[in-house]
Amino acid sequence: MTVATTTHAPTGTVSLHAILRIAGWIGLGLIAVAVSLSDFLANAPANATGIGPLLAAPSAEFRFGTDILGRDMLSETLHAMSATVRSALPATVVTLIAGALFGFVAARLPRSLALAVRSLVGILASLPALLLAVLVIGLTTRDWAAVAAGLSAAPFTFVRAFDRARIEERATHSEYARATGISASTLLRRDLVYEFSDTILSSAARALAAVTLVLSTVSFLGFGAVPPHRDLGLMIAAAKPYFLHAWWTAAFPAAALTLLILFARLAAGLDEGERA
Amino acid sequence: MSEIVEVQDLGVAHGGAVELEKLSFKLDGGETLVVLGDAVSGKDALLRVLGGYARRGDECSGTIRLGEGAALPAAKRGKPALRIVYLAAAADAPLNPHASVMSQLSRVIARRHGSPRASAREELRIALERFAEAPPFAELKKRPGELDAMALSWALLAAAMAQAPQLLIADHAFGDLTPRSIRTIVAALVAEQKRTGFALLYAARGLKAAAQLNSRVIVLRQGKVIEEGAFAKLASGQSHAYTRTLFKALPKPPGQPPGRNTTRGEPLLQVQGLDLGGGAAKRGRDGITFELRRGASLALIGEEGSGRRALVRALLGLDHVAGGRVVLDQVDMSILSAPMTSRLRRRIAFITGADDALDPRMTLWDTVDEPLRAHLRLSRDMVSGHRETALKRVGLASYDGRHAVSTLSPFDKRRLQVARAIVSAPFLAVIDEPLRGLDAFAQSILTELLEDFRRQEGPAFLVITADVGVAQALAEDAMFFKDRKVVERGPLRDILKNPKDAETRLLIEAAALPGL
Repeated sequence: MTVATTTHAPTGTVSLHAILRIAGWIGLGLIAVAVSLSDFLANAPANATGIGPLLAAPSAEFRFGTDILGRDMLSETLHAMSATVRSALPATVVTLIAGALFGFVAARLPRSLALAVRSLVGILASLPALLLAVLVIGLTTRDWAAVAAGLSAAPFTFVRAFDRARIEERATHSEYARATGISASTLLRRDLVYEFSDTILSSAARALAAVTLVLSTVSFLGFGAVPPHRDLGLMIAAAKPYFLHAWWTAAFPAAALTLLILFARLAAGLDEGERA
Repeated sequence: MSEIVEVQDLGVAHGGAVELEKLSFKLDGGETLVVLGDAVSGKDALLRVLGGYARRGDECSGTIRLGEGAALPAAKRGKPALRIVYLAAAADAPLNPHASVMSQLSRVIARRHGSPRASAREELRIALERFAEAPPFAELKKRPGELDAMALSWALLAAAMAQAPQLLIADHAFGDLTPRSIRTIVAALVAEQKRTGFALLYAARGLKAAAQLNSRVIVLRQGKVIEEGAFAKLASGQSHAYTRTLFKALPKPPGQPPGRNTTRGEPLLQVQGLDLGGGAAKRGRDGITFELRRGASLALIGEEGSGRRALVRALLGLDHVAGGRVVLDQVDMSILSAPMTSRLRRRIAFITGADDALDPRMTLWDTVDEPLRAHLRLSRDMVSGHRETALKRVGLASYDGRHAVSTLSPFDKRRLQVARAIVSAPFLAVIDEPLRGLDAFAQSILTELLEDFRRQEGPAFLVITADVGVAQALAEDAMFFKDRKVVERGPLRDILKNPKDAETRLLIEAAALPGL
């Protein structure tokens, strides 16, 4: 209809989308608490065998049951979650730097160079992230799994940041600023501040979901964590021979991994961006 | 003519807030009623209730009688006894951007008549071809974004006429067009009204279309009727103080003194033989040559695409020019590097009618502070002092400065641009269609703000507009453009009295007000 001539105060209504995001961040917060207190919450140290009978079903004593070596699954799941998150955090930082920051800067390179970089990274983005991660691990060592996961998720983040930056650069308000003598460096600073203050949290959550999935999958395939340091992917892989008759050996690590990725995706606003 | 609508004591409240109070009017077939007011005047509530698309939660009182039917409570009105057709503004993007205009409008007509789409398409073609100035029917195969505002307005009008309305509700339908376009399309609408005899209810924010319709006007403010009467009477000055404020936005009759000191200073901008790419130099003609002195004001008047903006972009070094010389503040722009040109532009302010000119992510305070911080590196206290002064002058001091620009209305965004311009202490201000899309009250206030800005800061003005009325309010001299060439130039007052070029005459006639 017509456009109001008064300032619109933020409305009091909260959308379902916002509620889901908040739920996602609360979930991630709870996981962060569980991870930081894992040594305190767990009944047994990591990888402690013979704590209970072999392959005992969930009970009052062992709430998540035990595995083939008599390890308490609840303690193991907590330790593995901690290991997964501790690998995923640096991987997320790698994704943000190599993806979001590089994409933001690359968009401001001279046009032909910027488009060449965009095309190159676009090709990488078209490849499965898992294969890229395995390739990087193959070229380095397993110790570089976190960096490999971060780099494998970076092309998606790069493309998103690049395209946003190109739109911003060509926006009318940027033209307006240039026409009033605002320098390129001030504009860059302005865009950097607003781009990252607006999107850093959702980009980080999106990247966390992507790298967690990649890290867990490479561990599942045997390219990631090395025993005795077990993450969730490796726990699920170790349960392969028994899970048909001892479902808890795979179900609880899988549920923990699912929750971690789900909360990260919810926190990112259920964005379909960087699907690993 | 038979009576089409009778509204008695209509009141609308929504969520406890009263939007409209005790509005009564009658409208006969062939008659026009203009409802004039800003966004919170209550005219939207009137249109909603009358058009039969009230919002959930609207509490209506009073009665509405349509056609020969009985007067029914406004809250319980069923299917209307006559054909009510809604005409939206092209600027409000009423169509789906991904489908063709033809298919969407045909669907509307088919649904109205319950006829096949092919038949509706034919109705649309016949209605469009009745307008001599309308675009060819085949043009409507394009999507809405591919048509200009005028072509889309013709299409929407043709679709409305094809529905054979008995009551046409036009919601600020032509207000954002240029004066010449408004004149043309309103004339076509009035001719159709004479031919078919529908009643027209035109909700207007600005005065241009209302002036061309030159009919009975109801002035609304905050849900209440301020005044009712013929447009000419209200415009004559014998009216309520609020109405007089609204009508200040109308162009002054030619010959009125400009009402400001026209003392000229030293040359600020000298342009010699500037070629805008029309090939003037190659064809042996001179390019554009003119001079703007400090504190003076020059209007660049012409239709869209006539070369005014291209000229300004060339002057400021934003676009490469084929030939010519620009000297700004005694500096030849052609010898400057890009960073030096950018430094020179620090003393240039922009105030535009584009609502996306300011970064929507920035806060009010950051928007005003940016030129101070970027160019002058002042202390925090000084920055906040300048900012507060500027915001106070434009009437935004009471706003929460931490709000993002995206939360502001178009009028507030324009005022914020003026505040930003004030702190920049510019020697030149480019004012580009500053009143576009604003309601009459906002136009009046913004014009006063711009005049105050010029009076106090003393920048030279370059006013880009298609509206001679805006040029009259803000400039003393003018250059008229057509096809990227200047067709006439000189003191605006003289040109208005005695235009020599046909294009100039058309632009002046478009801004003239019938009956005044």
